[in-house]
Amino acid sequence: MRTDWIAEIVDRSETGPYMKESDFDLMIVRTIPGLVKRYGLEFDSEVLVPSDDDMADRLYQAGLDLLATTGVYNQSTERRIMLARDEIEEIVAAAPSRVVLGTGKDAVVMQHRGIESIRRCVVHSAPTGTPCTEENHPLILQSCAREPLVDCLGSGSVATYMGRRIIPRTPTEILGARQAASVARDAVSKAGRPGMHINDVATPITAQGKMAAIDAERGLRPSDAFLVAQMVELKTDYDQLSRVPQMQSVGMHIVDLLTPLIGGMGGGAEGTAVVTVAEHLLGTVCYSPSYHIYGHMGLMSVNNTDRMGLWIYALGGQALTRNTPILMIDAIYCRSGPGTTDLLWEVAAGSVATTVSGLHQGGVGCTGGTDTDVYTGLEARFNAQVCHASLGMSREDANGYVLEFLNRYEDRLPDPDRGKPFPELYDVDLLEPTEEWLDMYERVAGEITKLGLDIDGGWKQALQAQ
Amino acid sequence: MDGKWQALCRTINEGNSEAGVAEALRLLETGETPLAVFLECVEPCLADIGDRFARLETFLPELMLAADAVKAIQEELLPRLQADGSEGYGKGRVVIGTIFGDIHDIGKSIVSVLLQVNGYEVKDLGVNVPAKDLVQAAKDFDADLIGISGLMMPSLPYIRDAIALVKENPELVDRFRIMVGGGPVTREWALQAGADGYADNAVGAVTEAALLLEGRP
Repeated sequence: MRTDWIAEIVDRSETGPYMKESDFDLMIVRTIPGLVKRYGLEFDSEVLVPSDDDMADRLYQAGLDLLATTGVYNQSTERRIMLARDEIEEIVAAAPSRVVLGTGKDAVVMQHRGIESIRRCVVHSAPTGTPCTEENHPLILQSCAREPLVDCLGSGSVATYMGRRIIPRTPTEILGARQAASVARDAVSKAGRPGMHINDVATPITAQGKMAAIDAERGLRPSDAFLVAQMVELKTDYDQLSRVPQMQSVGMHIVDLLTPLIGGMGGGAEGTAVVTVAEHLLGTVCYSPSYHIYGHMGLMSVNNTDRMGLWIYALGGQALTRNTPILMIDAIYCRSGPGTTDLLWEVAAGSVATTVSGLHQGGVGCTGGTDTDVYTGLEARFNAQVCHASLGMSREDANGYVLEFLNRYEDRLPDPDRGKPFPELYDVDLLEPTEEWLDMYERVAGEITKLGLDIDGGWKQALQAQ
Repeated sequence: MDGKWQALCRTINEGNSEAGVAEALRLLETGETPLAVFLECVEPCLADIGDRFARLETFLPELMLAADAVKAIQEELLPRLQADGSEGYGKGRVVIGTIFGDIHDIGKSIVSVLLQVNGYEVKDLGVNVPAKDLVQAAKDFDADLIGISGLMMPSLPYIRDAIALVKENPELVDRFRIMVGGGPVTREWALQAGADGYADNAVGAVTEAALLLEGRP
């Protein structure tokens, strides 16, 4: 183990076993069922937040076995980066368990959370994986940054620069990247929180585009971060890997983005959970991240708020929390859109399941991140309130709440209400939610309070205890 | 399905290539023709797996393993099919890829697998494929259909470019049908861009491919 490990990753990318990508996929598909069986992993659709520590530990071992068996596929060289089991364990054990995000008065400390922990969640927010128009992107980001319970700002993806389409690997990608970074910087400044951590600029898709957004005055700073993505499943490439040494050199935070697909190569809930654990380990070894975005989603439905998705969050979160020091934020991908009560119930279920399982909060992906401009600061507020109300909750109680919340929206998951875009839900001058959207929020918050979660008091206690 | 096909169908469902080939050869020894094996067993068996996948009763691994088993059976039986002079199993040749600037692989790969298990010969070009490479590959592969996937807004213009390379070339316009899909692509966008067909999921892509190639030689 050493700190310049990325060069070793390149060496192994050049010398590891050659394999066609389709054969690597089949290797994963053939390996996982044996691991699920060997480690006795079993999905129970009525126990979405399990309290079985032993199963969580077995899941961790299964994920470790998977990565040690298949290695990591580098799409650029069509070779497998092979990693020994003890090598993985050593690197993971040395991963950061505490990072400072942002600067000055706006800095927050993100620490490893235990299971059923009373330690408050750090809350990230932004239109997670969601396309935005140039017109509304600044307003959406500002609506998030001005929410007092939001600690860090994420990003949305904009397809145009001054009305022209952004073309990857051209000057327009650089211009678009710099504009998106500037918009994020403006959003935190206008919110009176200029040192707030910004976790990505999602408009550029190449390494060169990302790096163009680094600018101490008008863009991202070392106290901020970019995402380095994995490709499904257990894959990387040189474009992603090339971001790592640059960000390490300037002292920026690296965020490992993984999006295992439920129903994809892992199969059902158990196999996808194994892939999810393996990909956290992969990210730790290959990308040296400050934290991870735990963003699994349905292959067809693009959400993680159904029974399988919530179970994977809970058991996978516990497996990684119990066996590693790593830091994780969720990404609650929902079927519904803003301006619907269903969205709030989906967020509540995801937030409770992840909070008691050791994760921090990464924000909401409305409509699975497919519709444009579908995000507002209000769901960020709600997400923060629910997670803080869940601090210290037992997993048994959390399971009861999650099932209760799921009951409110599950029937409509196949045909969800996709809600409305930002300008129809916010006064775009005052940047305040409309009465209609606020009424829905208050109605759901009221119902959750009646069920026993202290939506209004939880966050106050969390802040006082800080 | 007739009882005599059950064993072969089971091997396909289990993704057992070796047993599948053995059972297919055993069926030929009993007097079944290669064409009957495909039309009366392999196709309905795969259609059933595809239907279960669409209903989320089965997942991608089962689909991939079944496709792998069928590929092995095809490799063994297709030469015999051609030797028989039988025609009509191959439904068409498809070149497929995710367009330039986009590295999303999985949706395109599922379409590729589903097309293969439904009797199409597929050349999968992978991701980040430039428009001209897509069209050149279609020429080289003598494709009937070009499938283009795009999940990122900035990449959609390249799909339009690929369509234009075919539709504005008098030698190619009648040679290839074009089908598109992906998150930000809608049927309206697809048709406005000049594509012949559109699908918003993998199962729909198989149906659309059949419609587009219907009646073609």
